[in-house]
Amino acid sequence: MKSLSQEKAEFLRVLAARIVPETTELDSAGMGRFFGLIDEALLERPAAVRRQFGIYLGLLRWAPLVRFGGPFENLRADRQDAVLRWFESCPVGLLRAGFWGLKVLIFMGYYGQPETNAVVGYAPERDGRAGLHAGA
Amino acid sequence: MPPNATVGRVSMQEREYDIVIIGSGAGGGAAAKELAPLCADGVKIAVLEMGAKLKEEEYSGREVEMSRRLYIDSGGTLTRDRAMTLAYGQAYGGSTVVYTGTSLTMPEEVVKRWNVPGLEYEDLHRRSLKYLEENNVHLLPEDELNDNNRLFLEGCTKLGYHIEQFPINVKGCLSSSLCNLGCPNQAKQGTHRVQLPRAEAGGVEVITNCRVARIVDRVCEAVVTDPGFGEPSPWAPGEYRVKAKVVVVCAGGAVNSAALLLRSGFGEQLPNLGRYITLHPALILVGEHDRAITNFFGHPKSYYCDEFWKSDRFLLETCMYFPFVTAKNLIGFGAEHSDLMRAFPRLQMILVLALDPAIADNRVTVDSDGKPVVDYTLTDDVLDTLHSSMLASARVFFAAGAKRVHAPAGATFFIDAADAGRIDELIPRENVLPGKISITSAHLMGGCRMGRDPGDSVTDGWGRVHGTPWLFVADSSLFPQCSEINPYVTVMGLADRVAEAIRNNAGELLSS
Repeated sequence: MKSLSQEKAEFLRVLAARIVPETTELDSAGMGRFFGLIDEALLERPAAVRRQFGIYLGLLRWAPLVRFGGPFENLRADRQDAVLRWFESCPVGLLRAGFWGLKVLIFMGYYGQPETNAVVGYAPERDGRAGLHAGA
Repeated sequence: MPPNATVGRVSMQEREYDIVIIGSGAGGGAAAKELAPLCADGVKIAVLEMGAKLKEEEYSGREVEMSRRLYIDSGGTLTRDRAMTLAYGQAYGGSTVVYTGTSLTMPEEVVKRWNVPGLEYEDLHRRSLKYLEENNVHLLPEDELNDNNRLFLEGCTKLGYHIEQFPINVKGCLSSSLCNLGCPNQAKQGTHRVQLPRAEAGGVEVITNCRVARIVDRVCEAVVTDPGFGEPSPWAPGEYRVKAKVVVVCAGGAVNSAALLLRSGFGEQLPNLGRYITLHPALILVGEHDRAITNFFGHPKSYYCDEFWKSDRFLLETCMYFPFVTAKNLIGFGAEHSDLMRAFPRLQMILVLALDPAIADNRVTVDSDGKPVVDYTLTDDVLDTLHSSMLASARVFFAAGAKRVHAPAGATFFIDAADAGRIDELIPRENVLPGKISITSAHLMGGCRMGRDPGDSVTDGWGRVHGTPWLFVADSSLFPQCSEINPYVTVMGLADRVAEAIRNNAGELLSS
């Protein structure tokens, strides 16, 4: 990734596994597309936003140290989810919004791939008339 | 380009027109078409559009790809507090390329509420009807409506909620449901299909990929780029000074028109410039049925419910979005979220539009790089409205037979049909947390509001900027308050007035 360091990209993969569990089933090409979409999205944002996102990832990684005694990636899955839920509903609006932004990027990386449309049963067609009347 | 950037004279190219229109969406496109007959008399008119003109084969329907080509910031412009995202188009045709084509005229009482001197309901309505005709607006026959829309009708009807069918502006619709990604079948009658081709046939030049940085003494400082897709711009990449001998019309939309005028230094003489932005804050809500329904085949938006228009200040509309947009509008993550996403073919969707008040501090400014920044506060009243709309939507889903509903402010991820009677308890108001809940806007209004004088507004009732007779605004930024309906027909009606004002004052403007 051009927008994130290798370390942060690896951490993003850890977060993605909790946010969209299906990302763990992606093959290398799928993971390439996953990071590619996120990279493009981050690169079109101002450098300051990318920096803030990097800082936010650092915060997510190390915030559990006090409560659970280790960085995020070392926690059990249920504790990782508890940390994420806390950030999602955090009393500080900017931290909530930051978590929403993280989710958006991960959702984009996964659901933004046309290759994953089939996983959710989404199969649009340029001419949708046959599909529209299939059950009629 | 930064507002204070020096434009190198060596590479600078000069162009000269009588009328320069900035933006080619509902406002710019309508104004261009209305002014085009002047070209027969030798008047030179250019439309400068920052977006590209896509080749027909480039309308791929792929979600992220089309969002990047057709929306500013890929449809994810954030407000300063990051509690909302704004989706607005950049293309030959502006946002009319990416809307669903729902075509409503302003209710009389809203026009009266606007209270703009010189703007009468009858005049705006007459012009709006002209565009309904021009854009082939009609009701789809019942057999072309999909289950997603029928279920909304069924749910609202069971509850006794008032509902209307949306007139839409399509011709040869093939039910792709991809309206918001640019119709791949050329069916949607936006300005890219109707007004701009007519304007060009009349002699208007449309310059795509051309971003105007600022306007100085009727000179638009612009940059043409090559985005790597779409038809090439008629002008080579580079910097341009585009002189408007008579008139400049700003039609870049609520955010960009205000930002352009602020970058151009009009803020000092116009204290209301950029202010009173309204957004129709929106929620996308889903209910899951126990069987597959037709949702991503067929036109996505056939009905709206105005039952709560006056009492609770929101509208409910049918909608259908794509996997990524749907995913980001759900609360939560992990297995529950994935479970709901995998129910995609069984999902019914409702779009909520909150009718927000015009507040001076909700405004567009520009940062040190000249980029627009939108400050917008979701007031407690608007959050109350969003909460009420979630309750109403949940009732509609259940009345339509949904087995479970996902409410972003729900105490649990799903509310089962067995708990339909406990909706008020299961969707608590305190869970309506900005930043947690995905709140979006596709109706950006205000910033160059019409009114009486610079003390209360930016333009007069004909879109002329106070104190600058050669400068007009012709887009949704003119709205002094929100439109309370989907706004594009009203934008066209107002642009039609702007064009008339220019035509009627052409002699005076030429000599000024």
